[in-house]
Amino acid sequence: MIQLKNVTKTVRSGTEDLTILDDVSFEIPDGQFVAVTGASGSGKSTLLGLIAGLDAPSSGGIFIDEDEITKISEDGLAHIRSEKIGFVFQSFHLIPSLTAYENILIPMEILGLPDVGRRADRLLEAVDLTNRGHHYPAELSGGEQQRVAIARAFANRPKILLADEPTGNLDTKNGQHIFELMKDLHNKNDVTLILVTHDAMLAGQAQRQIILTDGRVSSDERK
Amino acid sequence: MKFIFNLTRREIRSSWRRLLFFFLCIALGVGSVVALRSLIQNLTKVVGNDARALMTADVDISSTNEFTPTDIGKIEAVIAKYGSVEARNETIVTALMARAAEPANDSIEFIELKGIEPPFPLVGSFTLSDGQPFDFKLLQNNGAVLAKSLVDDLKVKVGDKIKIGEGEFQVRAFFDEEPGGTSGFRLGARVFVEKKAFDSAGITRTSGRVRRRILYRTSDNPTALVKELREAVKGSAIQVSSYREQQENLSDQFTRTENYLSLTGLLILVLGGVGVWNVARAFVEQKRKTVAVLKCLGASGNRVITVYLLQIVTLGLIGSLFGVFLAQAGLWIARWKFIDALPAKMSYAVNFTAAYQGVILGVLISMLFSTLPLLQIRTIKPKLLLRDENNVNISKLDWTKWAFGVVCLAILLGLAVWQAGSLTVGAFFLGGLAATAAVLYSSAIVLTWLLKKTKGISSFSIRQAINSLYRPGNQTRIILLAVGLGAFVVLAVQAMQTNLVREFDFTRNQRLPSLIFVDIQKSQIDELGKMVADATGEDPEQVPTVRARIAFVNGEPIDYQQREIKQQQGQIGREFAITYRDKLEVNDKVIAGNWWNGEAARSASDVPDVSVEESMANTLHVTAGDSITFDISGRKITARVASVRRIDVRNARTAFVFVFRPGPLDKAPQSYAATVLRHLPETDRTHLQRAVLDKFPNVQIFDVDDIIDAVNKLINNFVIAVSFVGSFVLLSGIMILIGSVALTKSQRIYENAIMKTLGARRRTLAAILFAEYGLLGLLAGIIATAFATGLSWVVCVYLMDIEWSFDPLLTLAGVFVTAALVTIVGVAAGFDVLFRKPLATLRSQ
Repeated sequence: MIQLKNVTKTVRSGTEDLTILDDVSFEIPDGQFVAVTGASGSGKSTLLGLIAGLDAPSSGGIFIDEDEITKISEDGLAHIRSEKIGFVFQSFHLIPSLTAYENILIPMEILGLPDVGRRADRLLEAVDLTNRGHHYPAELSGGEQQRVAIARAFANRPKILLADEPTGNLDTKNGQHIFELMKDLHNKNDVTLILVTHDAMLAGQAQRQIILTDGRVSSDERK
Repeated sequence: MKFIFNLTRREIRSSWRRLLFFFLCIALGVGSVVALRSLIQNLTKVVGNDARALMTADVDISSTNEFTPTDIGKIEAVIAKYGSVEARNETIVTALMARAAEPANDSIEFIELKGIEPPFPLVGSFTLSDGQPFDFKLLQNNGAVLAKSLVDDLKVKVGDKIKIGEGEFQVRAFFDEEPGGTSGFRLGARVFVEKKAFDSAGITRTSGRVRRRILYRTSDNPTALVKELREAVKGSAIQVSSYREQQENLSDQFTRTENYLSLTGLLILVLGGVGVWNVARAFVEQKRKTVAVLKCLGASGNRVITVYLLQIVTLGLIGSLFGVFLAQAGLWIARWKFIDALPAKMSYAVNFTAAYQGVILGVLISMLFSTLPLLQIRTIKPKLLLRDENNVNISKLDWTKWAFGVVCLAILLGLAVWQAGSLTVGAFFLGGLAATAAVLYSSAIVLTWLLKKTKGISSFSIRQAINSLYRPGNQTRIILLAVGLGAFVVLAVQAMQTNLVREFDFTRNQRLPSLIFVDIQKSQIDELGKMVADATGEDPEQVPTVRARIAFVNGEPIDYQQREIKQQQGQIGREFAITYRDKLEVNDKVIAGNWWNGEAARSASDVPDVSVEESMANTLHVTAGDSITFDISGRKITARVASVRRIDVRNARTAFVFVFRPGPLDKAPQSYAATVLRHLPETDRTHLQRAVLDKFPNVQIFDVDDIIDAVNKLINNFVIAVSFVGSFVLLSGIMILIGSVALTKSQRIYENAIMKTLGARRRTLAAILFAEYGLLGLLAGIIATAFATGLSWVVCVYLMDIEWSFDPLLTLAGVFVTAALVTIVGVAAGFDVLFRKPLATLRSQ
């Protein structure tokens, strides 16, 4: 369960305070697929970052299960992310100095899991990159990089998958492929999936759609 | 831990090329430390640990005077008490001219003649060039054994005869290395003859320049014996020493030299550390996204820092080990460069102690200089993956960084103290380095600021080059600091050499004689004067000289136990050549008392007057009005110090320490010295010397050219040695320059891609590249030469007390050579950027 209670995020822009999220509250039960949409600058990515504990809200509280993550230290947050959260970015953010296979190994090694090599092989197979594991990110196409990123995000069997416009940098065909892959993994693993997207068609396939307008929740529709 | 080790291994695999300069900076620094330490430790092994062989005995009693029967009696009385004395011999040494006896061979050479008696050597061995052991029989019946270099210099072989003084000696053998031979300063090559030959050849008549030694070999520690001997000869100018003291002195000297050289090595290593800091800073900047990803995936800040610290330590260790190999290469270069100046038996292998100390230093310096940049990892937030925050200023200091900074500084101080072997020297080194770096860095800031403010530059390339010096993440000031420091060391040494060489440039001193003849008898002076005048076209200046020793000062015997007098015991206790004259020389200046004037002064007083040279007056603590009693051929003459003179040696024809008022010494036993100013060609000079010596073999001749050659050789060796070390500092600077070019390369590639898209031709971009590094080099050259000139002035005027003059040619050459070097290196390291295709670059951004 993810809970947001009166979350506000303000940043300093020059001499003025700029409110990015304004008194946002909602709950996401386990296993739900939620699409977050809204215009550019509406606060979608910030919201995702706050849920992942990548940033702290200016006020309000965020709960993941029983843990109020706004009160946890940076290293504590890192541990929660390692155990419970997977993240997929628009720009993939693979580590360029590591091969695809090694990028997938990293989260498991951070958590200290055993037998990580075999699981990495299985994940590569799941994203259909069995023969590309020894390649560096620069040697892979955008679609392939994003598939590696998805495999990495699922490596530690997270309860929550956060995806920040995962198809934004891809062509339609590759974008669709990635979306199907995430949806498939979500279904098979019973993962809570929060997808930030501009694409109305993709958002329409979610179980719930939250629309942000100027930092506020303007619509929250469940199917 | 598995994560840390795995990621470290993977990161090294992918980043080692980017960290190559880090690696090389450390390798070069460690190489310098290990090479310099090994060199001096190996030298100590050969020379320092065998002080007995160096002294050729256990106890050495020496004097510039003849040992009187009383002295001998006192010494023998002490020796008789010690049963540990096994053997004894005497030696006698002086420097004089030797010439080939064969009339057709007109070779003439300055030599250091040593008269010995059996058994020789008391300690150690003496092997001849043909591999045979030295046999004293070789010297009997006027035999001589010569240093190998005299085969060419005197053009003689075994069996030939040479003339020394009034004697004729047959060359019986040659040797490569004599017992007790050191690489110290020596005017001429060594020649061994029998001790008694000194008398038969009339050499002992010039006893003022002769040093006599009585040597003993003991079976026990000679410390107590030396103490008692010293007590026995107290009050005389006789010096007593043991090989143990010599060993301690040598050991102290070597330890000091080793520590100073180690500091020089540490300087190069610290410069390498600056390179490390620079690379680590850029590395962290480049790794920001990777760090953010790792944090996003759940890695804590400390684990990420540990990964990169481990990476740095591993590379530091590998770099340090490579540095040990570089040190070995450096030692081979040293052997190639300085083989003549270093002992033949010296090892040129890296010393184990030096190697492991170097490796420890290398790893510590890697850690120290990368810790602060790596701490920046703490401030990298994973949220930057959501927003591009590349331009966020990450150099903001926090308290943790300050605390670590202080700890790093303390450790660095510890390293400096360890290397210097002294807290004060270590602290001064670090303080001096920090001050020099601060001054160079500030100058770099001022100069680049002035450059930025320069208006009205019409050249597009130069305007762009100036802009490039200010691009984000630029390395301008670091390069100016590093290259400037290296060039500064090299140029400062060059500037000092120019001034030192000028100081010994006799052509500047119009009054410096080209030939000096001494020990001329009264009966010989007219004929010798005529010979010299015929050969040179100049009447030689003739100066009467009387040999005298100081007996008392103000009625008291000289207290040789006083520290400053003890240090100059040999100088004060020796026989002086004194003169008398009524006029003050043009290079003399009276600084205390009054000079006597003309003939009137002869009868002014019954008490003889003497004028004393300033530094001798200081040593003896005398001034005008005091008295000095001289012993002249056994007769005591007490003179009143009438004046104290300062002699301008730069304008000296002769420089007498003691000058008497004419009158009292007129009837004393005296000889003459004659000097000529005219500088004859070498062949004519040799002919004249041969002619004079053939006619008057008792006369000693000093060819000033030979002395100047020896001094210049000494200066050159010093300059080569310091420049050799200085060039390592410069190389470190160049390494940082190459590293910096590599670090800013991606930005340059991007800028060039945009320029090309906007229509810039490759030629224009090349011009910008040349202009950028040309300007950078010019600034580095200006900074380096300015400070080098300043330092050479301070050292020459305040430390060496020699005349300093500005050398415009060296200054200009310094600026332009530095500029050329930086331009060549900078352009070579960045030239490939010009050939990159813009589309691929822009796509990847």
